[in-house]
Amino acid sequence: MDSPFLSNTTLSFSSSFSSSPLPHLFPSVSFSPVRFKSTQRRILTVRSKIREIFMPALSSTMTEGKIVSWVKSEGDVLSKGESVVVVESDKADMDVETFYDGILAAIVVGEGETAPVGAAIGILAETEDEIAEAKAKATSKPGASTPSAPAPTAASTPAHPKSTPANAAQTVAEGRRKTVVTPYAKKLAKQHKVDIESVVGTGPYGRITPEDIVAAAGISPSKTNEGPAVVVEARPAAPTKATVVSSAPPILPPPVPGSTTVPFTTMQAAVSKNMVESLSVPTFRVGYPVTTDALDALYEKVKPKGVTMTALLAKAAAMALVQHPVVNSSCKDGKSFTYNSNVNIAVAVAINGGLITPVLQDADKLDLYLLSQKWKELVEKARAKQLQPQEYNSGTFTLSNLGMFGVDKFDAILPPGQGGIMAVGASKPTVVADADGFFSVKKKMLVNVTADHRIIYGADLAAFLQTFSKIVENPESLTL
Amino acid sequence: MHYSPALSFSQPTSLPTTNYAFHSHVDLRFCGLRRQPSGFSFSTHSASTRVSLSTPARGHSNKISASSGNNGTPKSFDYDLIIIGAGVGGHGAALHAVEKGLKTAIIEGDVVGGTCVNRGCVPSKALLAVSGRMRELQNEHHMKALGLQVSAAGYDRQAVADHANNLASKIRSNLTNSMKALGVDILTGFGTIVGPQKVKYGKVGFTDTTVTAKDIIIATGSVPFVPKGIEVDGKTVITSDHALKLEFVPDWVAIVGSGYIGLEFSDVYTALGSEVTFIEALDQLMPGFDPEIGKLAQRVLINPRKIDYHTGVFATKITPARDGKPVIIELTDAKTKEHKDTLEVDAALIATGRAPFTNGLGLENINVATQRGFVPVDGRMRVIDANGNLVPHLYCIGDANGKMMLAHAASAQGISVVEQVTGRDHVLNHPSVPAACFTHPEISMVGLTEPQAREKAEKEGFEVSIAKTSFKANTKALAENEGEGLAKLIYNPDNGEILGVHIFGLHAADLIHEASNAMALGTRIQDIKFAVHAHPTLSEVLDELFKSAKVKAPASTSSPVSEPVSA
Repeated sequence: MDSPFLSNTTLSFSSSFSSSPLPHLFPSVSFSPVRFKSTQRRILTVRSKIREIFMPALSSTMTEGKIVSWVKSEGDVLSKGESVVVVESDKADMDVETFYDGILAAIVVGEGETAPVGAAIGILAETEDEIAEAKAKATSKPGASTPSAPAPTAASTPAHPKSTPANAAQTVAEGRRKTVVTPYAKKLAKQHKVDIESVVGTGPYGRITPEDIVAAAGISPSKTNEGPAVVVEARPAAPTKATVVSSAPPILPPPVPGSTTVPFTTMQAAVSKNMVESLSVPTFRVGYPVTTDALDALYEKVKPKGVTMTALLAKAAAMALVQHPVVNSSCKDGKSFTYNSNVNIAVAVAINGGLITPVLQDADKLDLYLLSQKWKELVEKARAKQLQPQEYNSGTFTLSNLGMFGVDKFDAILPPGQGGIMAVGASKPTVVADADGFFSVKKKMLVNVTADHRIIYGADLAAFLQTFSKIVENPESLTL
Repeated sequence: MHYSPALSFSQPTSLPTTNYAFHSHVDLRFCGLRRQPSGFSFSTHSASTRVSLSTPARGHSNKISASSGNNGTPKSFDYDLIIIGAGVGGHGAALHAVEKGLKTAIIEGDVVGGTCVNRGCVPSKALLAVSGRMRELQNEHHMKALGLQVSAAGYDRQAVADHANNLASKIRSNLTNSMKALGVDILTGFGTIVGPQKVKYGKVGFTDTTVTAKDIIIATGSVPFVPKGIEVDGKTVITSDHALKLEFVPDWVAIVGSGYIGLEFSDVYTALGSEVTFIEALDQLMPGFDPEIGKLAQRVLINPRKIDYHTGVFATKITPARDGKPVIIELTDAKTKEHKDTLEVDAALIATGRAPFTNGLGLENINVATQRGFVPVDGRMRVIDANGNLVPHLYCIGDANGKMMLAHAASAQGISVVEQVTGRDHVLNHPSVPAACFTHPEISMVGLTEPQAREKAEKEGFEVSIAKTSFKANTKALAENEGEGLAKLIYNPDNGEILGVHIFGLHAADLIHEASNAMALGTRIQDIKFAVHAHPTLSEVLDELFKSAKVKAPASTSSPVSEPVSA
């Protein structure tokens, strides 16, 4: 035990301790479970023979230590170099030795308790006569065990949420029996020093979730430790982060009495963010009537084979986009065209109070049947919230159809990162006059494309719509 | 939760003379270090015979003395050996019995493969394979350190569940086929012992068939143990049987019990995005592990994850979620027996251990009384009756006897029994059976923990030394960016005997076998430290470990690895 190494270090300790508070003792700690022999002491009253044993700093990141066990008991005679106590830091357990002969007069911090670095954890008396004095000193220490911790991170605080609402003003009672906090929320609260009693839980059964703590701490979700919980939470096309951007205007009118505020779900927050973002894009709209009699006839034929109208329209749009690549492009930086090598048709779907755009990838290349099959799978996955990110954020052009509600025409908002979105209305029998003046009744459907005018100009869009219309009016090519 | 790769047995050698390897194994056993009843017929094999390892004796000179199982008149039986229960234990015994030329039947009332294959080690490994990858992909810091960029990782719950289920079916059919191919009769139905050397079996509602066998092995295994007060509904309050189907991933799951099963599930659930609360009756998490390993494991597997815990408490009442209420768990202090806390969670997984499945076995017909459900056996797995006498021709292996509730231990016990009934005494060296927990990183161990070793040393008056090495010093581990880990060797510094090895780190479960084989073969540290390990491999962690041990005894003169080999 009395290795030359230890006695050498002793000297450096005692000299450095009086001046600097707790230097980084073991810069070379290479791995945790090695038991380092170390000793720590500081002479408080120079003349006194009563010495305190301090909580040592065993690593550069250590702020508090836990007493694993006292190797010696009160009243034991200690000799220089003997292990007195085992301390657990954030990295390792280490034996702490004494460099002085003496008697362990009092244990200030008991086994299993925690003390901040530098706090007295025990008292060493030189002779038996001084034991009483030392004990008195120990009891007078306010810093017995945890309360002496300077940081409010005492281990016990978040561990047992009390039902007594200290901050009654902020704790919305609502007959909640007790505060329920999830494990990760507890950890976050401790990390960010959030008082759990002041947080209102919004999780299931009113429990406090990690999101609540994040909101209370006013921080963006940290990605440091385990990474975000990536349970597949479907969210609409959001190629960037899905953090909530507050779009609240600075002055809000007072809420109408009796109104309720329901926070956005993750999906709704992402929708909100994307919609706000779309305001930065200069868009314009071009409408076009398309005759659908032939398409409807085709639809009747292929319907028994599982083909859906969505697949037909997506296929038609994709084929038209192939001929007009600029409409399939996007403007990422305001300086250039980004031509997409694939034609990926995103289709907007309303789902459980949210909005999602599953993407039919390579819609120009897949045949109608595969496309229909794919669409069915995507919708099922969207319902089950199991869409993979690339299945909802890889679209290059969006299709939005409200025709089934009888809507004849509407305006769509361009999703960020895309060049165009097509709003499809209902197909309705319409009286039309041809060039020769003959009247007939044809089914007409109004489509309205919103596009980014930085890259797509009026003529581009018009030409695209003309191609689209021709494909729909002569839909045989769709089945090829 | 272990599965011994029983497939390796599926191609038995037809020549019995090639079994010398096994015989020499038995010889070695006697040089071993434990104090289990060992066959005194071999008492001439002193510890010094270990040297003979290097030149395995091909002869069978030892065999004759052990043949004592023949008790008089040769009677005609339907089978030489009947095994009740086709889990991993029964399967291992059956394959070895066929190899030994026994006419063998195995009775199974459920599905071949038992707990391990269908509801245990096997499907859980599939889930853990997924959780390990998820953990890696989600660890942005880790990925960045390797220079990789990965967009948000996600998973399809059903596809993960299917992977586990498919693996179980595949292993199950492998097991079934391996037995069929060797001519083991698989008899379907629940087996009941009706008298000495007599078993009936049959499905419920059908007439039973009675068969006789010279020897019978009980290998009926175990079922999840659910303490009273806990209402398992299979949906929100579940056991490992349900959890392995992964029918849903709760936002918050309480796991009752922090042993192997609980730990492995915490690894799976947290990787899939759940938060976990452990409930442990003892004062410390992970009881049963070496304390130092347990502490390190807690720093890595518990503290940085979305896990909290309550120790020193019993979950005295658990009510499943219903009527718009969450799962409610009443916690009672383990010492004061007073109500301590009430938890509200989305699901509770009961991982409080396993109970033997021995009901309806007909043990009363042969005057055997179970102890807490376990079938009492001696060191040779021979069943002991209510009067303390051995029941002739009846053996019990695996979870049903409770000696060591591990799949590979059951299989090893089965092989040991077959050795005995074919005329060669054999006692399984239980302390050399390794165990592993397949968290990320893994935990593995063989032999004694440090406190156990110190207690034993005190009683028997020998010294105990500890050696440790870190994965941080291992090139391969660092290349993988997985330097977190520790290997610990507990040994006798006077003679170099290995008392226990504990590993926490990357692929620990695969690394333990160098140590467990050394223990099984009685190899001493001063000899094994000369064995060469490929560089750079994780196995060098153990190499370093053996080399860092300070043994007073000199290396054996004829070192097993001293023979020159031309490449």
